[in-house]
Amino acid sequence: MDVRYERASKSFGSTQALAPLDLTVPDGKFLAMLGPSGCGKTTALRLLAGLEQPTSGRIYIGDRDVTRLEPRHRDVAMVFQSYALYPHKSVAENIAYPLRLRRSAAAERDERVRRVAELLGIGGLLGRMPRELSGGQRQRVALARAIVRRPHAFLMDEPLSNLDAQLRLQMRVEIKRLQRELGVTTLYVTHDQIEAMTMADLIAVMRDGALQQLATPAELYERPANLFVARFCGSPPMNVLDGAVEDGSFRHPTGSIPLPGAEIRGPVKLGFRPEHAEVTDHGAPDSLAGEIYVVEPLGNETLVTVRLEDELLNIRAHAGFDRPVGERCAVRPAEGRVHLFDKDSGEALAKPGERGASSAGHAATAGI
Amino acid sequence: MGTSSVAVPARGRRGSELWARLLASPWLLLAPAAIALAAVAAYPLIYGVRASFHAYRYGRDVGSAGLENYRAIFEDHTFWTALGTTAKYVALAVSIETLLGLGLALLVASQLRFSRFIRVSLVLPMTVAPVVVGVIWRLMYASDIGVVNPLFSALGLGKPNVLANPGSAFLGVVAVDVWEWTPLLFLIILAGLQSLPQEPIEAARVDGAGPVRVFFDHTLPLLRPVLMVAVVLRLIDAVGTFDQIFVLTKGGPGTATQLISTYSYNTAFQFTQYGRGMAMVVSLLVLVLLLTIVAIKLMRNAAARTSS
Repeated sequence: MDVRYERASKSFGSTQALAPLDLTVPDGKFLAMLGPSGCGKTTALRLLAGLEQPTSGRIYIGDRDVTRLEPRHRDVAMVFQSYALYPHKSVAENIAYPLRLRRSAAAERDERVRRVAELLGIGGLLGRMPRELSGGQRQRVALARAIVRRPHAFLMDEPLSNLDAQLRLQMRVEIKRLQRELGVTTLYVTHDQIEAMTMADLIAVMRDGALQQLATPAELYERPANLFVARFCGSPPMNVLDGAVEDGSFRHPTGSIPLPGAEIRGPVKLGFRPEHAEVTDHGAPDSLAGEIYVVEPLGNETLVTVRLEDELLNIRAHAGFDRPVGERCAVRPAEGRVHLFDKDSGEALAKPGERGASSAGHAATAGI
Repeated sequence: MGTSSVAVPARGRRGSELWARLLASPWLLLAPAAIALAAVAAYPLIYGVRASFHAYRYGRDVGSAGLENYRAIFEDHTFWTALGTTAKYVALAVSIETLLGLGLALLVASQLRFSRFIRVSLVLPMTVAPVVVGVIWRLMYASDIGVVNPLFSALGLGKPNVLANPGSAFLGVVAVDVWEWTPLLFLIILAGLQSLPQEPIEAARVDGAGPVRVFFDHTLPLLRPVLMVAVVLRLIDAVGTFDQIFVLTKGGPGTATQLISTYSYNTAFQFTQYGRGMAMVVSLLVLVLLLTIVAIKLMRNAAARTSS
């Protein structure tokens, strides 16, 4: 079922945790709410679960207005960051609990618990108590408890943040596969842009309680709506330079970059991703002059940090990249891969050669 | 005490250093408390146990009596009645106090209005000395000037004369205990409730549990270790109740409110049977000790089962 926030906001005393939010998650889709801590993403999730009441606005699950409903009447399943297993119940009892509350027959219940446990590879742990499990196992139990029934929506609050890197990678894949298989609308809160990019159909980027952009991962990467989104998504983050557009070129003290088709003039911020630029020889045309600052070989590629006067740029280079630190060089962004942002507001400006790029992000949902 | 070393005047550096070391020594700092404790707790206990094995005539120790005192109380019908009354008194008072304390703590924990006011006003009874509590309630129960009789008759329930009838006198003294000690349980349980993890309870609400299910399936099991500690503490304390009973009824009417504490007091100090009185107290002590050991064992098991 689809999930809809209509001007839903939440304030705690005089602090506004969530500005009026308009957001729709289409039926069966996986939406990631992405943002730094304190951006309101968890609050938005708790509003949907019914654990918090919105200060204003309404929330719908399908056609049903659930704004004032108790959590138990909303039929959603939630996975908490701390797993929130019932410490006094065994693994089997934990998983069976939602079914028990719905008075399902004991035989059917046992069967479903067993099936779900096997699906998640915890079939051998059913008799254990939560305190006897490792973090990854607890995570699976929490997940099993959520998927043992067919709720209208899954809510996941940073479910992977307490796992080690290896396990996180594995669970990321499993959750994504499970969600596609079950086809249940999912809201997934995370501060990890890689999780959001890899798992979600749609990403809602939040900051200071306000939605910044709602778009598909590809859209978000290609057309960030503002500087915050641009820098938050992508690792290493997008390079941003202050400068001005004059005569169809971006002018920077260290060089100038042609912007064919640029219609604007005056001071702007120019951004380009580390993978959309190359390190060339000093004095190459259409490039910015600098020197090699750090070289970090990663095996499959090399991360190069270049210093331009007093700014550092991150560039992804090929695996065999080999220039000594301190050598004079230049950075040339790939044509058509640069982003322009308003100098003051940080809002995206029309991409050179395109029109209305800044609104494209918000309109992206229509295509889903 | 440690600071007094600073105040020592220039008596030479070595002298003041010695002083500082002496004053900082833990044994020296503990000594006053240890001596006081030995004087008021250890000595009477040892003396009492010794007395329970001695015979007394006209209040004088006339030598060892072996187990004679214990045999006597074992055959004393009144002793068994008093033991039964004590058990009934403790069981009734502590269960009411636990339920009331739990109920109040739940109300206050759920952010009831005026919860700060309720918290303060509930703690007041605990600050009153038990003897004073007894006096206050004797006045309230009094048939001529008390408030209880007019209150009951205003409700059309007649004049109960609470302390005059065996049945109502027992309930009357239990009510006093409840009034004085419910706050203790309330405070301990409230602290326990407020330290419970919130996530499992929120998870249960999302999983589909209503308030009643949340309470019985999660809050109560999670609270059990705290609840056990509170109840055991109160049980041990309630077994020794003396002051209020002594002031209110002196164990009467008849033996309706005769607890081991008042009966042993009467035996020892009214009938000067010190040995026999002490034997009762020592028997009770052993009984409570055994019960406590069992309770602590149960608590450990419960704690081991829920801790994560």
